Amino acid sequence: MGLNVLVNPYTMTALDGVAYGLLLFTIAAGLTLIVGVAGVFSMAHGTLYLAGAYLAWYLADGGWTGLALALAAAVVVGAVGGAGLAAVVRPLVDRPLGQVLATLGIAYLGADQFNQVFGAEPRSVDPPRAVAGSVALGDYQYPIYRLLFIAIGLVLVVGLFWLVERSRAGAVVRAVVADPGMAAATGLRTSAVRVGVLVGGGVLAVGAGVLGAPVIGPSPGVDTTVLAYSLIVCVVGGLGSIRGALLAALGVGQILTLGVALVPGVAAFILAAAMLVALTVRHRAALPGQPA
Amino acid sequence: MSATPASVTTGASPRRARRLPRWSLPTLGFLGLAAAVALPWLVNGYVIALAATALVMAVLAMSAQLLVGWAGLSPLGQAGYLVVGAYMAARVATLTDLGPVQVLAATAAGAVAAAVTGSLAVRARGIPFLMVTFGLGELVHAAANQWAPGGSEGTHTAPVAALPGLPAMVRPGWVYLYVLACVLVIGAAVAVLVRTRFALLLRAVAAHEPRVQAAGHHTGRLLLAAYTIAGGIAGAAGALAIAVTRYVSPADAAMGVSALALAAALIGSGSMLGAGAGAVLLVAARDWVSGLLGGHGPTLLGLCFLLLAYLPRLRQASRTLRLPRRRT
Repeated sequence: MGLNVLVNPYTMTALDGVAYGLLLFTIAAGLTLIVGVAGVFSMAHGTLYLAGAYLAWYLADGGWTGLALALAAAVVVGAVGGAGLAAVVRPLVDRPLGQVLATLGIAYLGADQFNQVFGAEPRSVDPPRAVAGSVALGDYQYPIYRLLFIAIGLVLVVGLFWLVERSRAGAVVRAVVADPGMAAATGLRTSAVRVGVLVGGGVLAVGAGVLGAPVIGPSPGVDTTVLAYSLIVCVVGGLGSIRGALLAALGVGQILTLGVALVPGVAAFILAAAMLVALTVRHRAALPGQPA
Repeated sequence: MSATPASVTTGASPRRARRLPRWSLPTLGFLGLAAAVALPWLVNGYVIALAATALVMAVLAMSAQLLVGWAGLSPLGQAGYLVVGAYMAARVATLTDLGPVQVLAATAAGAVAAAVTGSLAVRARGIPFLMVTFGLGELVHAAANQWAPGGSEGTHTAPVAALPGLPAMVRPGWVYLYVLACVLVIGAAVAVLVRTRFALLLRAVAAHEPRVQAAGHHTGRLLLAAYTIAGGIAGAAGALAIAVTRYVSPADAAMGVSALALAAALIGSGSMLGAGAGAVLLVAARDWVSGLLGGHGPTLLGLCFLLLAYLPRLRQASRTLRLPRRRT
C-alpha cells in the first residue's frame, strides 16, 4: 500500500502540526478580526481559550453529552465574554493603550479566579470515549480525536471563509477593516459590527478551548502561551486577514511540532524570523490609521 | 496608534499657575532618599526584600519609560532583556562575585539582545509594536526554558560583593543598600541621557515621525538606538534581580513582569521618576498589600491596570510630557 511511504515519524508529527495549526487558526481568526475590525488588541483572548478548556474539563463525562453541553456553554460564555469585553473597551475608543491595559487587567482577574476555582495543577481532559482510542496508520497508532479535530477544524475553516468572504455579514466586516470611515459614511453601523466581531471572536476562542482541551489542556499559564502564539499568527498573517491567519497558523503549527522535532531549540528563532519576514514584506503597512 | 490631537500639547499654561515652590522638589527628593537609605534600620527583612524587588522593577520601568515616554512606543517584552541580563550575570557570577562587573556584563548582554531583536521591533509602531515586543518576550521565555542552564528550574547564584575586598553580601539590608546605590547610579545615567539631544530627537519622532525624517534623520536608527539602550537598562535590572534573589528562572521573563513595567511607565506619564514610583507602587500592591489581604496579588494588579486604563490622564501619557522645567 502506498500509504506506508507516507507514514513515518515526520508525517505523523506533521499531522500533529496540522491539528495544532487548525487549533491556532480557530483562536487567532477571532483575534485577527478583533484587532482588524474593532481595533482592540484583546489581551484577554487567551483567557477566553482557558475558560473553554476548563469548561471542557468540568463538563466532560466521557460521552458526547458532556462535549455538547460544554459546547453549548462555550457559546454562552463566549458571547457574554465578548460582549463584556466590548462594554469594557467602549469608553476607551481611540485609546489603544487603555484598551490593552483594561483587557490585561481582565486577563489577570480571570487567571487569579481560575487559579482559585480550579487549582494550580494542570488538568488533563479526555475526549469522549467513542473517539478516545487510536487508529492504525501504517505502523503507527494515531489518536482518533486528533483526526476528528482536524476534520472539525477544516469544517470551521470552510465555514469561516464562507462567512467572511462570501456572506453579506462578512462583506460588512471586511468593509470596516478596509476603511472604517468610509464604511460608516455608507451607513454601516460600525459600532454594532465591532461588538459583533468581539462576540464572534469570543465564541470562537471559548469554543476552541472546549474542542482543543485534549490537545492543549487547561493549566495556569496556558492563557499567556495561547495569546502569544495567536498574536504571532496575527502579526505574520496580517491584521484582519482571515486567509493570512490560516496560512500563518498552519505554518506556526508546523514550526511548533515538526520544527521542534527536526531541529530542537530553534523553533523560537524560526518564529521570530517569520515575524521579521512578515514585517519586512509589509514594511510599515501598520502605520496609524492604515489597516495592516 | 491614533495620532494625538494637536490641542493637547497646548494645555501647559493653566498648570504653570499652581507650580510648587522652587525648593519643594529638592527637599522632597532629599527626604525620599534619606528614607530609602534608612529603610533597612526601620523595617523587617521581608519588607526590605520587597523594597529591593521594587527597586529592580523601578529600573525595568525606567527602561520601558525610555520607549514609552520618549520614543512613543509601548514595549511589552522588556522582561525578556531582564532575563537575558540575569542569565549573563549568573554566568559572570561563576567567575567573579563582584556585583558591578556583573551589572556591566548584564547591561552589555541586554543591549546586544535588544540590538539584535530591535531591528524587528522598530519596524512596527503603536499596537503592532506592542504585539511584536510581546511575541519577542515570549520567545525569550520559550528559548530560556529550552537552552538556559537549569532549564525551567532556573539556576542559583552566589551572593555578590559590592566592591573588591568586601565580603559577599548575605543579609537583605546590605543587598538592599547595594541595589539602591546601583539604582541611583543608573538613574543618574538615565537622567543625563534624557537631557541629551538624542532624547529630544526621540520625542520628536514620537510627536511627528515624517517631519523628523524630512529633517534628514534616520528615524529607524534612532529608535533602534533607543531600543538598544532600553534593553541595556533592562539587562542591568536583571543583574540587580539576581543580586536580590540569587536565583533566575525563565519565569522571570513572564508577560506579567513586562506588563508591570509598562504599566509603571504609564503611571509615570512621561517622567522617569514617576515610572520608578509607579513600579514601587505596583510591586507594593502586588506583593505587600496582597500579603496583608491573604493572597490575590494578580487580582490586585489587574484592578490596578483597569483603574489605570480608565484614568483620563493616560490619554496623553505616551506622547506628551507635562513636567515643568524640562527642555522641550
